[in-house]
Amino acid sequence: MSEAILTLENITKIYPNGTLANKNINIEFEKGEIHSVVGENGAGKSTLMKIIFAIEKQTEGKIIYKGREVSFASSMDAIENGIGMVHQHFMLIPSFTVAQNITLGAEPKKGLFIDKKAVVQKTGELAKQYHFDIDVTSKVADLSVSAKQKVEILKTLYRDAEVIILDEPTAVLTPQETEQLFEQLKIFKEMGHTIVFISHKLNEVKSISDRITVIRDGETKGTFLNKDITMDQLTELIVGRKIETSYESYKKKVKDPQVIFKLEDFSCKAHGIEKVKNLNITIRSGEILGIAGVQGNGQEELIKILTGLEHFQQGRILLNGEAIEHNTIHQRRQAGMSYIPEDRMADGVAQAASVSDNLISTVYNTPELSGKVFLKNKAIVKETGNLIENFSIKVSSQKEKLSSLSGGNIQKVVVAREWNTKPKLMVAEQPTRGIDIGSAEYIHHQLIEMRNQGAGILLVSADLTEVMALSDRLVVMYDGEIVAYFDSLKGVSENQLGYYMLGIEHQSEEEIRRAAQ
Amino acid sequence: MNNIIASFFSASFLFIVIRVGIPLLFASMSAYVASLSGILNIAVEGIMIFGALFGVYFSALSHSAWIGLLGVIVIGTVCSLILAFFTMKMKADAAMSGIALNLFASDISIWLLLIWTGSKGTSASLPSKVLPTINIPIIKDIPILGQIISGHYFLTYVCIALAIFVYILVYKTPFGMHMKACGLDADAALSVGIKVNKVRLISIILSGILAALGGAYLSMGYMPIFSNNMTASRGWIGIAANAVGQGNFLIVILATFVFAIAQGIVNNLALMQLPSELINTIPYLCVMIGLIILSVRNYQKARKNK
Repeated sequence: MSEAILTLENITKIYPNGTLANKNINIEFEKGEIHSVVGENGAGKSTLMKIIFAIEKQTEGKIIYKGREVSFASSMDAIENGIGMVHQHFMLIPSFTVAQNITLGAEPKKGLFIDKKAVVQKTGELAKQYHFDIDVTSKVADLSVSAKQKVEILKTLYRDAEVIILDEPTAVLTPQETEQLFEQLKIFKEMGHTIVFISHKLNEVKSISDRITVIRDGETKGTFLNKDITMDQLTELIVGRKIETSYESYKKKVKDPQVIFKLEDFSCKAHGIEKVKNLNITIRSGEILGIAGVQGNGQEELIKILTGLEHFQQGRILLNGEAIEHNTIHQRRQAGMSYIPEDRMADGVAQAASVSDNLISTVYNTPELSGKVFLKNKAIVKETGNLIENFSIKVSSQKEKLSSLSGGNIQKVVVAREWNTKPKLMVAEQPTRGIDIGSAEYIHHQLIEMRNQGAGILLVSADLTEVMALSDRLVVMYDGEIVAYFDSLKGVSENQLGYYMLGIEHQSEEEIRRAAQ
Repeated sequence: MNNIIASFFSASFLFIVIRVGIPLLFASMSAYVASLSGILNIAVEGIMIFGALFGVYFSALSHSAWIGLLGVIVIGTVCSLILAFFTMKMKADAAMSGIALNLFASDISIWLLLIWTGSKGTSASLPSKVLPTINIPIIKDIPILGQIISGHYFLTYVCIALAIFVYILVYKTPFGMHMKACGLDADAALSVGIKVNKVRLISIILSGILAALGGAYLSMGYMPIFSNNMTASRGWIGIAANAVGQGNFLIVILATFVFAIAQGIVNNLALMQLPSELINTIPYLCVMIGLIILSVRNYQKARKNK
């Protein structure tokens, strides 16, 4: 085949604290290919990319770029040599224009001054050349997430990147936007760029890659031609064991199920627009009610009001037969409600606080952990230790800053904390979004365990595979209304749900009314 | 009464506004260049005190106002390097370092004054020099305009030149772009190869020099001596003006001159039989009103974005 542009030889990375992040990694990236690097969070993908990009230095091993061994002094050095990276967190300045962001640090000059005309002209031409539909004079703050990503990619192209590393680029994109990105990547490939695509979403990896390298526990598990490997084989390589796609066998019948939660004629508006219309839902103990739907069809508003984050408007919310719509969040929690929020970094955790502080934040004021004045330190250490062990959260110490954990582990902290209040109703909003397969499976098992012990679970997720695998009963929301209800998921297909989710089909009133029974 | 009102519309009033506005402008530019690149410099007041004191001292030592001025620039640089050392190198909290420098300056200046002159109040016994007053040829003979813009202190024109310099630097050069980038998102700036620490160091030095010059204006022109607490919170007013501007240099200048006009009004009203303590609060009231308007605006913006 074609020549290798970037070769990693026996890369080993041991962090000063003794963590072995990469072990004897060998990968060859060829010119003009789309090469995916897959693995769970914490498998060592990010470290490897940091080594290529000179953010970290390898302990052992060689990097060979364009035929000679290189040792970049800094990221800048890597950029100047034609390696570009699109970070997961955008490195853009919102109040600058697209053109300003692209040229920042390498502005076209006219004497001592910035050549403002050239800034716009050059970036405009660049966007055109690569078929990006973007107005370079608009402010980045006004752009959608996918457009911001385009700006990031243009930044690397402006600096003549030949190898473009994309770190989990689709995590923030809708399926349509993802497809658009993939079209774009194919154009780059045709133009001779090498794309390194980091991801843990296997279907995407399968659809875009020429070759795939699997990393597990810091080691390469092989590089494969896309056409030579199946999804199941990949999954097994990534996780190191077979993954179950159905949880039916783990579900147990709960004796004497009681109605735990009821929504009656629930409606709400935001900015004068009706977001949720006349919702009627019932959840019993020991069942998972799933809400499927494309994001933005009223789920978010529903959850916000239900959990008390926003003001109640209309209808009734009953928890254990008691109206809680005017209760404070604290009262709702006391009544037995727990909540796993969608945006864990913003709403779920205190990033700057320790793992321990986060874990006890729902129970710190119980008599077990707190006296009248002082917290009981020993009890807290024990409690935290138990949670870390039970939920197999990977931490170096209880006092570690939460923000230093991986996404999957942070989500485990959230789930452990919410589980710890022994909730009667668990509201789980996108509980496994953006985390690795192993952690996701683990969290699924925890939810089922809670269900088996008699909790009612309201599961909201845009991930169809997830809602279908977990739910006992399922409603589909479209445009603020329930458009379909299934009291069992046996024989229901994803396609069928898709029609309801897109508003193409609609069940009869009577069928939908059964959701409230 | 009519006389007083008429006096607000005279050329001499505008002359006074410029006269009292220049030290404020030095202070607000000092705060501006630092905050633009992402450093909180709340030591403007303290550096002004040092500038004022050392200008007097060096000029007295050297018998030359110009060497005194050079000393002022050096002292401004030294102060900003100290700030930079603590905040950038030692990672101390910028607010703490700034407060420390302010407290240090206000007390050590009295002590030094005592050592050098034997007085805790003023430097009157030091033979310090004053920078010249400049009458601009031709312009000085133009009626009204000449009365307003000619005949100011040397540092007044330096300040105006520096304002133009800062404007060009910030809005026309790559360096200005990098300053803004460092202030808005240092990680993003780093990721495209901008040397954030270097940009910030240059900005803080510029900030220190501007503040020190503001101090020198007070003791080597506005007054011919250093006196205890002669900066009278001008540094803080400059910081407030910078806050009102929210990164827009022209608004910073505008806010500065709103405060300067308030100060000018005070100077005029002082001639009337009004309690001077009350009149003296006007500029500070103005600052408060400015900050209230600013926060209301920010609040509304935040609500709109929600």
